[in-house]
Amino acid sequence: MNTLTTTTEDHRIALLAALAITIHIAESALPSPLPGIKPGLANIVTIATLCLYGLRTAAWVLMLRVLAGSLLLGTFLSPTFALSFTGAVASLLILSVARLIPGKSFGPVGYSLLAAMAHMAGQFTAAYWLFIPHPALLHLFPILMTAAVLFGLVSGIIVAAMLKRIQ
Amino acid sequence: MKSNLVTRADWLIIIASIALLPWLYSTVWSNDPGDGDEVHIVVGGKELPAISLQQNQILTIQGNIGPSTIQIADGRVRFISSPYQGQQCVHSGWHRHNGEFTACLPNRIAMLVTGRTTRFDTFNY
Repeated sequence: MNTLTTTTEDHRIALLAALAITIHIAESALPSPLPGIKPGLANIVTIATLCLYGLRTAAWVLMLRVLAGSLLLGTFLSPTFALSFTGAVASLLILSVARLIPGKSFGPVGYSLLAAMAHMAGQFTAAYWLFIPHPALLHLFPILMTAAVLFGLVSGIIVAAMLKRIQ
Repeated sequence: MKSNLVTRADWLIIIASIALLPWLYSTVWSNDPGDGDEVHIVVGGKELPAISLQQNQILTIQGNIGPSTIQIADGRVRFISSPYQGQQCVHSGWHRHNGEFTACLPNRIAMLVTGRTTRFDTFNY
């Protein structure tokens, strides 16, 4: 009989992903003023994971959250999922670049801001190329970016406050 | 927050991202169409010869239900009066930018400001 061995890291990823999924789903119940704008509170879990356990674990938690979150909300492979997926990949890319900078350069606020902006930019690009290739869509971009900066900052401050209590 | 949780690089990112926003708004939203050169007036489906916005004048045009007065001054154009109650065309004020359009629907008079580059292929009413 095959047994599946799991490591401590697996358990950690599962736990954090479950937490992120819960926040993700709770947040999906909140009304949004504009399509594309939401607080992205699940980002808090990703950034905290990144600061505590590194990029690999954070990437797992983020991608599992996007995948399982979409399955639970019934948006898997829908446009919503495509946008969420591209956003997640874009923020992972920028976070890996940010991690490459030597030394203890960025803290949670910097990571969170970078991730939020990359997420929005990635998601916007996907929306433009895949769904609405119209120049008028560009007019939304500054508004969406303002929201991204605002929520990225707030999430980052929450993570910083959280880490301060943990450490 | 006076801990080392907010690093110098963080501040850099915070400042850069906040500075990015006004720049984004100004580049994306400053879709300046440029000033118009002439105004095309259409009365009841017939287009009058284009009038330069540099010629200051007041025109009275006979429309469907009565005369409408149009003023051209300093590169701008507006309806001064129209023979109907709503006066939406009058309230729409001065028009000076390339592509700006206004119409007095009851009187069947429409006008479009055009510039060097055309922003519309056709103009019909």
